[in-house]
Amino acid sequence: MIDSLIWRATRAIFLREWRSELRNRQALNAVALFAICSVVTVSLGLGPLMPSADVALVHAAFLWIVLLFAAFTALSRVFVVEEEQRTAAALRLAAPPIAVYLGKLCFNLLLLLGLTILVTILAIVMLHIRVGATDLLIGMLLSGSLALVAGTTLVAAIIARSSSRGALFAVLSLPILIPMLVTAVRGTALALAGVSLARGMAPIQTLLAYAVAMFVASLFLFATVWE
Amino acid sequence: MALRKGDGVKIFLGLWIAAVIYCMFLVVPQYVGLGDAGRIIIVHVPVAWITSAAFFLSAIYSIIYLWKRNPTSDVAAVAAAEVGTLYCIFATITGSIFAEVVWGTFWNWDPRETSILVLLLIYAAYFALRSSVDDGERRRRLAAVYNIFAAVTMPFLLFVAPRVADSTLHPNCAFLQGSKCEGISLNLTGAKIGQLGDVVIELKSLAKTSTLTNATIEVRMPGMKNVATLVPSLDGDGKPADRPEFPGQQFRMVLLEADATAGTVRVNMQAPGTNLLSNPRTLWVFLASNLGFLALAFWLYHIRRTILQVQLTLTPGEINI
Repeated sequence: MIDSLIWRATRAIFLREWRSELRNRQALNAVALFAICSVVTVSLGLGPLMPSADVALVHAAFLWIVLLFAAFTALSRVFVVEEEQRTAAALRLAAPPIAVYLGKLCFNLLLLLGLTILVTILAIVMLHIRVGATDLLIGMLLSGSLALVAGTTLVAAIIARSSSRGALFAVLSLPILIPMLVTAVRGTALALAGVSLARGMAPIQTLLAYAVAMFVASLFLFATVWE
Repeated sequence: MALRKGDGVKIFLGLWIAAVIYCMFLVVPQYVGLGDAGRIIIVHVPVAWITSAAFFLSAIYSIIYLWKRNPTSDVAAVAAAEVGTLYCIFATITGSIFAEVVWGTFWNWDPRETSILVLLLIYAAYFALRSSVDDGERRRRLAAVYNIFAAVTMPFLLFVAPRVADSTLHPNCAFLQGSKCEGISLNLTGAKIGQLGDVVIELKSLAKTSTLTNATIEVRMPGMKNVATLVPSLDGDGKPADRPEFPGQQFRMVLLEADATAGTVRVNMQAPGTNLLSNPRTLWVFLASNLGFLALAFWLYHIRRTILQVQLTLTPGEINI
């Protein structure tokens, strides 16, 4: 009974976020434009890189830097908007904290996955990135996005309740995300270099373990932030 | 009487730390391969592990705060974080100095260097968060949550990411005495090629003279076009004699065993300063340094905690800690 209540509330919050976003498209526009501008700027300045031992690592690092900063632009909005529009109190009354967290997490995940697809396609086309192992790249991007969202959604809830929201999100998130970023960049470089899925499983497992750890910690801690 | 006792402890601690610094420069012998630069380890290692311990203590107090909601626990968490920050800065500076002397660069993104930098960033973010929330109760609550959340990432940073990333310049099992990394065995008639860390080595020949057993070993470092040849040797008693340096590094190749008739050798990598704690003077000064810096950390923690507690009692909810 309680479980079904939580899932119904989670679904309702996710749909509310999605409808609200489709209505004004603030996050979608900001993130998409940021991603396009970043990729275009880098490809204009850098151009296609000559093949070398480090080129896969450079491309992987670039891809994740764009994803990281686009995430900083978009992912904090889900909670900041509630505080700015003064709807947080109503949401507290309407749904249990865990459902609020799960609903916002799902919305952030969907947003980031869309962004990841956009950035990856743009980068492959504009920077002439050669993908050696497509299955490993997809695995890395999926597990990396999951880890990124799991690591930032609770921080988004924290900064929404502080006075300097925009700047603080990056400051608080970056130290927490460094372990996953290091792993994601190395793993994506392996995928671009053409390492097989079997040999490149270690970074995916690490990212999934990170995502699970952050998710479980967030489930325990979110109610305290939200109260 | 209590004041006199406290003064006595302070004076004793000051003298202890002074004695450690004196011994570090004048009593401890130079380390093989590191010279005087190696002395900084006496300070760097204790400061670095106390940094991690302070961060752990701060996270524990944050958990206690969320459990009991007693502001005193939050005060303790802040005091531990402040002491940890101070030690973290000190560990970063001493580590950078050592890295410049030994590895030729102040900073090279070694996983251990990265982890201490991230620890510094987490402390900075923790204090930035505290200063950006006005309400006292909310500030304590959010800061405690962030502290615990950041602590969850530490195992990934300290143990997982360094293994996914490239090899570390810090000592690992290949360099520590008594570890299970026992080097690599090569055979002139069998497996001649092997790998030590990220270096590919090949046994070319083995020759025995009246006093020495010399192994000629070809070395291919990562990224190096040319091949280097090293000749480590064993003396008549079967102990390592010549320990040539790997090209471009301060690590040395050491010949652990050699059988000229069978054509087999066992070689390993050795960091500068390996076996440094086997010297009793170095070992005792190192232990004294650990005790001294730990006591100093507790003293600083105690002072800061007392000050913050007094502030909290005088103006509850008003101070920005």
